[in-house]
Amino acid sequence: MALDLAKYRTLFLEEATEHLAEMSSALLELEKDLGAAEPIDIAFRMAHSIKSMAASLGYESITELAHALEDRMEGVRSAGRVLGGADELKSLFHGLEGLETMVAAVRETGEAPPSQSELVERVRARTESAGAGPVPVPHSPDAISESDLEDAASDRPKKKSLR
Amino acid sequence: MKSDEAAFTETGENMKARVLIADDASFMRQMIREIIEPEGYEVVGEATDGDEAVAQYEALNPDLVTMDIVMPKRSGIDAVKGIIANRPDACVVMCSALGQETLVMEALQAGAKDFIVKPFKPDNVLNTLQKVLEKRG
Repeated sequence: MALDLAKYRTLFLEEATEHLAEMSSALLELEKDLGAAEPIDIAFRMAHSIKSMAASLGYESITELAHALEDRMEGVRSAGRVLGGADELKSLFHGLEGLETMVAAVRETGEAPPSQSELVERVRARTESAGAGPVPVPHSPDAISESDLEDAASDRPKKKSLR
Repeated sequence: MKSDEAAFTETGENMKARVLIADDASFMRQMIREIIEPEGYEVVGEATDGDEAVAQYEALNPDLVTMDIVMPKRSGIDAVKGIIANRPDACVVMCSALGQETLVMEALQAGAKDFIVKPFKPDNVLNTLQKVLEKRG
């Protein structure tokens, strides 16, 4: 069956615009209080939602950047605060602006713009004060695989032990 | 048809199985609805956060719930725990994104029956729901 992608593109634009506004407000709140729990949660969820919608429509560049922001915010959520302070917030704002530009491109052209690898890398890179090394790229070798999940869902004996 | 039984035609196809959709994104709720309604599923309710998902489950007693993992107020995993605590035989299907494998496993261990991964492939969504409901009997 085929879904009406034009309808979902309209929905995407409406919801992504709202989510980006919420994310912007959340990051502004974090400027005042780096450990404010609700804005941290909001920014994380908004990045997650934009990622999911973009992936559903095949907007890979938007998915990639939103995923980087989501992972970054997950790190903030785990830490309970924006450890990198103003520098890290700046990186998050850059990511947000990147998403805003990309969503605007979809609005104007109906298509997602090309990937912005440098911006994705910048969002993933940690500032010195937040700790060394970039935010881990997903699907590390130790991650649970889809077949592990399928075994768990079907109550089948595990083919290999979970790592 | 009793609300706590899934009805099947003689060929084994689901007939009017009652589904609750829990996702904070209207986009996703609409997409799931558009995939399953033409196949005979009845969407009896929608929840936009984990608290609402638990409350709606109690109020509506659906045959199956599709549950997003990331939601406001109460996460999808905590909502699964809340539902299963009262209804151990509840059919909950988690909706996850790539990179959430650990959370999906946690949800399955909490009592969810299966999972579907975003972006949704309609055939995969339908096959998974069918499989879960058939197992329930």
